[in-house]
Amino acid sequence: MLKRFPYLFLLLPALILLLGVFVIPMLFILVLSFQGVEGQFSLENYKTIFTDVYYWEVLWKTIKISLYTVFFTLVLAFPVAMFMAKTPGKLRGLVTMLIICPHLISVVIRNFGWVVILGETGWINVTLMDLGLIEQPLRFMYNEVGVVIGLTDAFIAYMVLAIATSLYSIDQSLYKAASILGANRIQSFFHVTLPLSMPGVFAGITLVFSLSMSAYVTPALMGGTGVKVIPTLAFEQIMAVLNWPLGAALAILLLGCTVLLVTLFSRLVETKRYKEVFSS
Amino acid sequence: MKKQIDVQLKNVQKRFQNQVVVKNFDLEIEQGEFISLLGPSGCGKTTTLNMIAGFLDPDEGELLIKGKRMNGVPPYKRELGMVFQTYSLFPHMTVGENIGYGLKLRKVSKQEQAERIQKVLELVKLPHVADRYPKQLSGGQRQRIAIARALIVEPSLLLLDEPLSNLDAKLREELRDELKRLHQEIGVTTIFVTHDQEEALSLSDRIVVMNYGNIEQIGTPYEIYNQPKSEFVHTFIGKTNRLPGVVSSIDNMHVHVRTENGLMIKATQSTGNWTVGQSVTAFIRPEKIKLTTQSEKDTSDNSVNGTLDIASFLGAFTECKVSVGSTLLDVRMQEKVWTGNGQDGETVTCSWSAEDVFLMAEGGK
Repeated sequence: MLKRFPYLFLLLPALILLLGVFVIPMLFILVLSFQGVEGQFSLENYKTIFTDVYYWEVLWKTIKISLYTVFFTLVLAFPVAMFMAKTPGKLRGLVTMLIICPHLISVVIRNFGWVVILGETGWINVTLMDLGLIEQPLRFMYNEVGVVIGLTDAFIAYMVLAIATSLYSIDQSLYKAASILGANRIQSFFHVTLPLSMPGVFAGITLVFSLSMSAYVTPALMGGTGVKVIPTLAFEQIMAVLNWPLGAALAILLLGCTVLLVTLFSRLVETKRYKEVFSS
Repeated sequence: MKKQIDVQLKNVQKRFQNQVVVKNFDLEIEQGEFISLLGPSGCGKTTTLNMIAGFLDPDEGELLIKGKRMNGVPPYKRELGMVFQTYSLFPHMTVGENIGYGLKLRKVSKQEQAERIQKVLELVKLPHVADRYPKQLSGGQRQRIAIARALIVEPSLLLLDEPLSNLDAKLREELRDELKRLHQEIGVTTIFVTHDQEEALSLSDRIVVMNYGNIEQIGTPYEIYNQPKSEFVHTFIGKTNRLPGVVSSIDNMHVHVRTENGLMIKATQSTGNWTVGQSVTAFIRPEKIKLTTQSEKDTSDNSVNGTLDIASFLGAFTECKVSVGSTLLDVRMQEKVWTGNGQDGETVTCSWSAEDVFLMAEGGK
């Protein structure tokens, strides 16, 4: 092992850190999730979760919100990534910076920003009402719509950068080859750009999906008490109800679900064709 | 019977940010011709090819393919075939799908596609690779597939953009012969861009030598090599000895030139109008100089004694550097001709015919 990878020691600091702050705490949580009220080993928490339909509804809502977020980030990010790939030089750098710079601001602040825009007295509702298009303010906040908007805003940068990276690596002469063979711009997009951008698209989907599944701040702020997802539920159990074992079990459930879905997804896309593209 | 003209460039110009990269380009290419655009990088050859392909539009002038004006027509409507330096095979398609792509776009039936793919694969001598992906092929095989992909649509014109440059020496030669064979077999009008003079000389019916966006000379490989029209063509194609000097006298037979280093050279009269005292440059190809030992009798027009400085054996020939006074001459010597023992420092005689001296007036043609 050491002979084949002589630079393995460079990973040591990161591995120690991960072990201390991630692996060991996760094991604690796993153990905690199997504790009963008295501290004894018990399957009680999982029984609660699997028998109470409420938890199933929350889990489904979490997945649904994550899928919507994936969809909207994907649709909005692809054209931006295309623009970046087709625009080399300074402008590309500027766009990259514009995409990254919102992340310099805390997601809490950004979510509060949405309140100003989407709230009942936010400018969208005020404008629509002033124009007489609506009589009652539309509900953008404290429901699933608000959470999806907030998450899309929070994670779109990951999607853009993931797709752009794979678009950058497409050999530009492939477009020339397609064109000379008779492909117009639309055909060349569907036959060359899209299939070759798939590694980035899949990476972006996986990333945004897992981030959305585990997001706490945005559902808490944009969803308020109206939208419960697994992370907010786990937080509530631990911090408010002080039922740590049930909170831990919810966390494990979330982890299990995310890993399962991401694995299924990558199995699905790893057909022969994309294997060729991915390994290049 | 005059052959049909397939491609016509009339006074074509292209500028990039005020810099003219192709100037007043005039060229007619006959049907079935194999023509090379040859020149150093930045000479405008690739730009010219890109204009013919439709990736660039000329700023001025006209481009006609098969008599039809092509200015402003996008590449995908031009019905051309093109092979690129980097192969440019679609990595997510199998070899068969790559080759069939042009047919798929032309809505050719699946069955006909399969038949034509097989046929063209046999043409490039790779009949069993249709189900593989480009990555599983070697560089030479990939380029053959790229050629097959270009040929399958039966293009009116085949464009080759330095297709051999990414291959190693041996493969390059192999594929060069392959290109020649394919051209003889199919007879498609071909435009070949290269910076490699050997490729151009061996493949072309005619060569267009370019420099700084200008056409330096258009001619057959023989003409380009033996009757270069400019100093650039002479020095770019093949190796040469460059000897600047002054015309010292002219007689019935010869122009006599005294070089800066005091060497006297005879050249034939016919090469141009010369006057005594005119500054000229004489060029002699290394392989035109005969190397003999001093004891041998020599009847050549030019004959000078010198010292063999370096002799590098290169297999088919030996490259020698001979000091004649303060002039260093490159001599390419075929082994059989040599009678000396090839020791460094040996005294030798260099001789060459006046016909093999190429004279050029200073500062131009």
